[in-house]
Amino acid sequence: MEQALNPELLFELKILWAAVVAYVLAGSLAIVGVLLKKRPERTVLACMVAGLALHTYSLGYRWERLGHGPFVSMFEILSSNVWSLMLVFVLCYWRLQVVRPMAAVVMPILFVMMGWLMTVSPGETRLPPTYHTVWLFVHIGFAKVFMGFTLVAVGLSGIILSRSTVFWTAKFQRLPADDRLSELSFRCLATGFVFHSLMLIAGAIWAQDAWGRYWDWDPLETWSFITWLLVAISLHARLAFRVSPRSGAWMILAVFVAAFLTFFGVPFITKSPHQGAV
Amino acid sequence: MPWLARLASLRLTLALLGVLGAAILAAYFGGLRYSPAIAAGLSALAVNLLANLVVTPRLRQQGPLLLFHLALLAIILLVALGRMVYLRGQVEVLDGEEFAGQLLRHDAGPWHPWRLDEVRFVNHGFRIAYAPGLLRQQTRNRVSWLNARGQEESAEIGDDTPLVLSGYRFYTTWNKGFALVFAWQPRRGPPVLGSVNLPGYPANALKQAQEWRLPGVPEPVWAMLQFEGELIPEDRDGEFRLPDDYRVVVRYGDRRWDLVPGEDTAIDLPGGQLRFVELRTWMGYLVTWDATIPWLLLAATVAVLALGWHFWREFSRRPWNPA
Repeated sequence: MEQALNPELLFELKILWAAVVAYVLAGSLAIVGVLLKKRPERTVLACMVAGLALHTYSLGYRWERLGHGPFVSMFEILSSNVWSLMLVFVLCYWRLQVVRPMAAVVMPILFVMMGWLMTVSPGETRLPPTYHTVWLFVHIGFAKVFMGFTLVAVGLSGIILSRSTVFWTAKFQRLPADDRLSELSFRCLATGFVFHSLMLIAGAIWAQDAWGRYWDWDPLETWSFITWLLVAISLHARLAFRVSPRSGAWMILAVFVAAFLTFFGVPFITKSPHQGAV
Repeated sequence: MPWLARLASLRLTLALLGVLGAAILAAYFGGLRYSPAIAAGLSALAVNLLANLVVTPRLRQQGPLLLFHLALLAIILLVALGRMVYLRGQVEVLDGEEFAGQLLRHDAGPWHPWRLDEVRFVNHGFRIAYAPGLLRQQTRNRVSWLNARGQEESAEIGDDTPLVLSGYRFYTTWNKGFALVFAWQPRRGPPVLGSVNLPGYPANALKQAQEWRLPGVPEPVWAMLQFEGELIPEDRDGEFRLPDDYRVVVRYGDRRWDLVPGEDTAIDLPGGQLRFVELRTWMGYLVTWDATIPWLLLAATVAVLALGWHFWREFSRRPWNPA
């Protein structure tokens, strides 16, 4: 409770809450738009950009206040991931006009993360000794881009899967055919694969410097590699078999679940070096 | 050759990727750091890829994709080579003492070239800041060594800034503590100065005792460091330091001595005389050697750049905005 009285923390949280309100407004409008077959896309984009600007300010303020980036506690990791996922999604929303209604699928996933963010302690943190390296930024940056592209692929896959019902087929009627959406989701996954590979390389460089080994099968490394394998299997399956859009969509969901559990589950159930516990 | 075509099958690639994933999970849940099943899975994938390179002209014609897969092959080979030549060990070096090429414990591949006896450096002590809650911050350890021209060089190393000598990388670790320096005067022969490293501090703050054997002394000697108060405060920022006020308790059999710094107390033991000299610190280093690392980095970078190039070419053929 002592931390809640800290006026600087309160200010930071107020800005963050304002950002979350803007995100929720954007997501709600996107969902209502799909249900009512309207396209309030400019308003949705404006709300998302406003939320992103507020969120950027909140994260920057915390960074300046604590002297390190949002990489340590669950609050910081969730907040910075919501920010990076929103950033990648806003860029895709801006550039891929035809598939903008996928915001109705993507935003609820982000709502879950925002809800989780609201429940964890925003207390002050210290950077572990091995986190004072540029490779931290490179490694985490690539990971965030991977997650962003995978989230967009999940949005497209969600549309494909929801079209199995008459109700949602009608709601997503104006969107391109499933095979075209599937091809786009494949592109997003393939792009994400490149960034996941870069993340593993940057992580290995960091691990070599931080712990004297580039790979040690610690829980986070193991699950990151499992996620990489799942992406490789999904991409190879499209070459080896004639994968239907629905099957491809399920594969992307499996990749996302594995990636989500790796990023947000594994670091907090182990005492591996990734947690900075050594 | 139908068998080669079957060996090159993309469906087999998929199956082998699944097998590799299963092997990794089995090793993970079985608590194994290295598993023959993972090695077998990677080897099978390498064979499948080689066969694919032979029988699939499309793969050979697509430069970036070919480069990506060749780089993957190189990574597998380099990882295998790395397991044959690597070294990973630990050593504890007293403040002011020279590392003399001997490791406390190690694990090495059968082809490791063993050039550690050429390596020498002196530990000049360390500074470690602690945040509230005994959270260890950065370690700054001053070390010096003689370069190839015989000139002395020095550097400050840490957990993520190794000292690299003859390819061996020395990293500081969380494992460090206090050392009791004793002078041992045997009944016959010259006096010997030696140290007893106490268990790591503050990880073993309540176990600052050690038992050891002296040459010619039938029973082990036991010594403990005692000091009052909190050396590193738990509720505020602090720093690792030697205690200002301490005493050393020595036991041999049922006899006990309380030694205070500054008092020259001689302990008579069956084989000679023991004197406490001073309290110092020791640092535990992690030592690694793997000559494949730069090549692995090169192969991995080539792989990912080639993959990016391949996807860039593929995806620029059709617009991203689907019609």
